[in-house]
Amino acid sequence: MNLGLEVMAGGVRGGASILYAGLGETVSERAGVVNLGIEGSMLCGALGAYAANAASGNPWIGALGGAAAGGALALIHAYFVLDRKSNQLATGLVVLFLALGVTSLFGAAYVDEIITPFEIWKVPLLSSIPWVGEIFFQADPLTYIVYFLVPITWWLLFRSRWGLLVRGAGERTEVLRTYGHRPQLVQYIAVVIGGVLAGIGGAQLSTAYANAWFENMVQGRGFIAVAVVIFAARQPFKVAAGSFLFGCALALSPALQARGVTINQFALNAIPYVATIVVLLLLGKRGASEAPEGLKKVFEMSPSS
Amino acid sequence: MTSATVPEPSGPPRTLIVARGIGRTIVAVLGAIVIFGVFMKLKGADPISAYRDMWDSTFTSGDSLEQILVKATPLILAALAVTVPARAGLVNVGGEGQLVVGGIGAAAVVMWFGNSMPTGVVLVLMALFGAAAGALWAGIAALLRLGVHINEAVTTLLLNYVAVDLMLYLIYDPWKDLNGSGQPATPPLTSREQLPLIGNTTVSMGFLVAIAATALVWFTLTRTSWGFRLSVVGGNPEAARQAGLRVGVLLLSSMLVGGALAGLGGFTQLAGVEHKLRPGFLLTYGYIGFLASWLARHHPVRVALAATLLAAIAVGGDSLQLDSALPAASVNVLMALVLLGVFGWGARKKAVAA
Repeated sequence: MNLGLEVMAGGVRGGASILYAGLGETVSERAGVVNLGIEGSMLCGALGAYAANAASGNPWIGALGGAAAGGALALIHAYFVLDRKSNQLATGLVVLFLALGVTSLFGAAYVDEIITPFEIWKVPLLSSIPWVGEIFFQADPLTYIVYFLVPITWWLLFRSRWGLLVRGAGERTEVLRTYGHRPQLVQYIAVVIGGVLAGIGGAQLSTAYANAWFENMVQGRGFIAVAVVIFAARQPFKVAAGSFLFGCALALSPALQARGVTINQFALNAIPYVATIVVLLLLGKRGASEAPEGLKKVFEMSPSS
Repeated sequence: MTSATVPEPSGPPRTLIVARGIGRTIVAVLGAIVIFGVFMKLKGADPISAYRDMWDSTFTSGDSLEQILVKATPLILAALAVTVPARAGLVNVGGEGQLVVGGIGAAAVVMWFGNSMPTGVVLVLMALFGAAAGALWAGIAALLRLGVHINEAVTTLLLNYVAVDLMLYLIYDPWKDLNGSGQPATPPLTSREQLPLIGNTTVSMGFLVAIAATALVWFTLTRTSWGFRLSVVGGNPEAARQAGLRVGVLLLSSMLVGGALAGLGGFTQLAGVEHKLRPGFLLTYGYIGFLASWLARHHPVRVALAATLLAAIAVGGDSLQLDSALPAASVNVLMALVLLGVFGWGARKKAVAA
């Protein structure tokens, strides 16, 4: 396989976990809640899926376990920022820290555990299209599901009544209240959905992509997802493009190493993070200015106590 | 925010409010200890004996007291790196990366100028380079915030990963100690490049640097006009702008000072403790420092105390690993629970009308 093809194919499968988390963060941020703990939800999802997979021998039950673990962590974030009104950015990090500790506490036993990973499934006909087939249609089932989740998320957010409520909760909670809705409940649901999606992203990482569990295996993918969501201005299709782009950046280092390129490994490892910052620099301003009103309050001014 | 014109609400006396706040904080901490005990029980460890071991190994030997101060040194500086920008309303989560580049900056002096400098001068230069590197790293995030409105929490987080990769690149390649065996690292510092120890202890002069920094930060934040302006910006940037304050310059300077403090932390760890850069150098110290600053709600002296407290918990965590066979990182659970408890039920922030 040539380098470009390998990087792009790796970018799609490696970017799928970022895309899950990015879609989750999109829903959460549309409702006016920033969740930096999405990184932690991915981590819990990765371990939850791995553990449920090892126990059941069924990757789908594993993915459900990952979804539940990711959602549970997001529920903690939701409770503290919505009910206890604590700072969203700081709480997200504390929640991440909690996830780091809990997954290292309970994950140590799973490091050498054998699981039944998701298998690569080649889509008949489509997978034999040159390039496109190899990049998009020789992947694992969770990657295929996320293809469908992108338009579904878009439709839910921008064409459904529920999406109107979510976006309303992010822009003007008082309007929702006037019309007899419960904005806080809508926000709770959005944040937990975000965590569930990030949890499935973690599941994709540990049981479909890396097929392994190790401490802190998410390695900032959740933070990259948050950055992607910002420069994609919370638009699901743009989030998808951004996630796959950064999947490619992540796939570049192993692909080059496999070819014996003598560039230092760690210089290559930094590429996705540096690339994210550069893209934020180029596109970030628009993303910030199109943020929902509720989010601007969080991002523009974070009160110090 | 219109609270400036609203008269003080007549409520219970201040002492009662403070007492309630302290009471709630104690309950929150106890809650965290109980929940963590449940976690340990689930893992098959006996929580009571684990806590007793933690307590014994943390407080009943002089060695562990020294260990706490050794760990507290970079933690205090990392925490202050969060405190100063937080006064201006910024969330600096980049302590992790700023510590590491501080270590890199200090090591660069040795790698580049090595033996060509008189004793004493070399240490001062290492401290300056470390602080400058930390400030530079934080400055990138500050400029992105000011220039393109990208929230600094996101960029500082991403820069943490870049900093670690940069350090690994240096120690695996150009700065690698060719005489070293095992894990790659930079060549160890010679004795004149090391911070002297305090008396007969294992605590280096770096601890005094951290104490001095705390005093200095306290003074600048509470007694100078720069500190006052920072809190005005942190309280209400729009009002600050209308009052003619140069908000951009204030935000940038707070981040630079914060980054410099963390950079100093990297320097003290390199010159006072590790004497070389190695993989895992100051890993998670930046995040724990972040927790310490939020735990103490960004009051410099309390922040330093909170950092020391978390250092004690971390030392206790090492005993968890030895005595109860739990991973050392499990102690992160306890720290996070304590902080969530304080966020949720600690001293309430002043009511904001809006």
